[in-house]
Amino acid sequence: MSEVTFMGVPREQIPWAPTIDYQKCDYCMECARFCPHGVYEQREQEPRLVVAHPQHCVVFCRACAKTCDPDALTFPSKPEVVELIKRLRQGEA
Amino acid sequence: MAEAFAVLPCNGLDKPAGALAREVGLALREQGGALICPVLYAHQPARYARVLAGQTVLVVDGCGTRCASRLAAAGKLRVARKLLVTQACKELGESPGEALELDAGRLALARRLAAALLAAPPAVRGPQEAGFGGPVTYGQVRHDKFIFRVPTQGYFFNENNCWARVVGNRARVGISDYMQQQLTDLTYCDLPALGAQVEQFGEAGSVESVKAVADIISPVSGQVVAVNEALAEAPELINEDPYQRGWVAELELADFQSDRELLLDGPAYLALVKKQAAQYHP
Repeated sequence: MSEVTFMGVPREQIPWAPTIDYQKCDYCMECARFCPHGVYEQREQEPRLVVAHPQHCVVFCRACAKTCDPDALTFPSKPEVVELIKRLRQGEA
Repeated sequence: MAEAFAVLPCNGLDKPAGALAREVGLALREQGGALICPVLYAHQPARYARVLAGQTVLVVDGCGTRCASRLAAAGKLRVARKLLVTQACKELGESPGEALELDAGRLALARRLAAALLAAPPAVRGPQEAGFGGPVTYGQVRHDKFIFRVPTQGYFFNENNCWARVVGNRARVGISDYMQQQLTDLTYCDLPALGAQVEQFGEAGSVESVKAVADIISPVSGQVVAVNEALAEAPELINEDPYQRGWVAELELADFQSDRELLLDGPAYLALVKKQAAQYHP
């Protein structure tokens, strides 16, 4: 299978994925049920919810955060990631 | 606001953001707004028929569930302005707090949010009809029983399957045919606020179908000068005609030359759809 890219940049070089604040998370699992890309995984042991596949996260999508009542999900800054993508594209050129 | 208005607040009494939204509603009532109880309105909308007749509505959502916005959309209310308390708090560097009972600081914050909502620029410059009504020619990708259309010129795309049609210093944005077919029948479109500044790759609303919810990731940066109000009553316009009648917002462009660097033209996006369709519909 060919390498997964986003805007011409290898996906693995783009640090876009949710971070779970375990102080706030109440393990309702809404985000895991919501995300169609399988970013989250539920576990038997603590922590019972993990970001298992950050590379599956759609760059710039934050839709799962809207399902989070305790507001436990955060994402990187969009402008910073856009800048990084620009730099990586230029480097490649 | 000079004209009469009604206020539909979230009444989420079990969450701090909901309690704050309720307080914002009360502060707006002091400014002359007619208060609508969301619970009674959901149950017996006729009770507010007189209050709502001819009035614009300010919607105050507590959290991202946006119950009040959904209620307003279901009732086809004329929404003039919207506030999402959790987001507005973040923008101000504030927090809705942890307690359901509001302390003096939270009460002051509620007043600030109410005042900001009333003072927000109306940005009623409105849509620019000229230029956006022109004919569109399409290319297409076939995959199994699916046909995905992509305009061949005049449109620019990001890899989040959203488009911008640029005419002069304005652009309309929306979602692509590929994305609407992935989502299937749309049931709700959350429009961005008039006057909002949107960054490139920032959110310009969201769409919801029976299957999924997706953010609309704006291909361009600028100020929202118009929204497609027809979508409030008929989100299916996006399914029927995603590139024209299904436009979501119109932006006054901030820096299209810079935005353009990170966008695909029609033929390049068509190639991307071909690749994505092959991966997702094996």
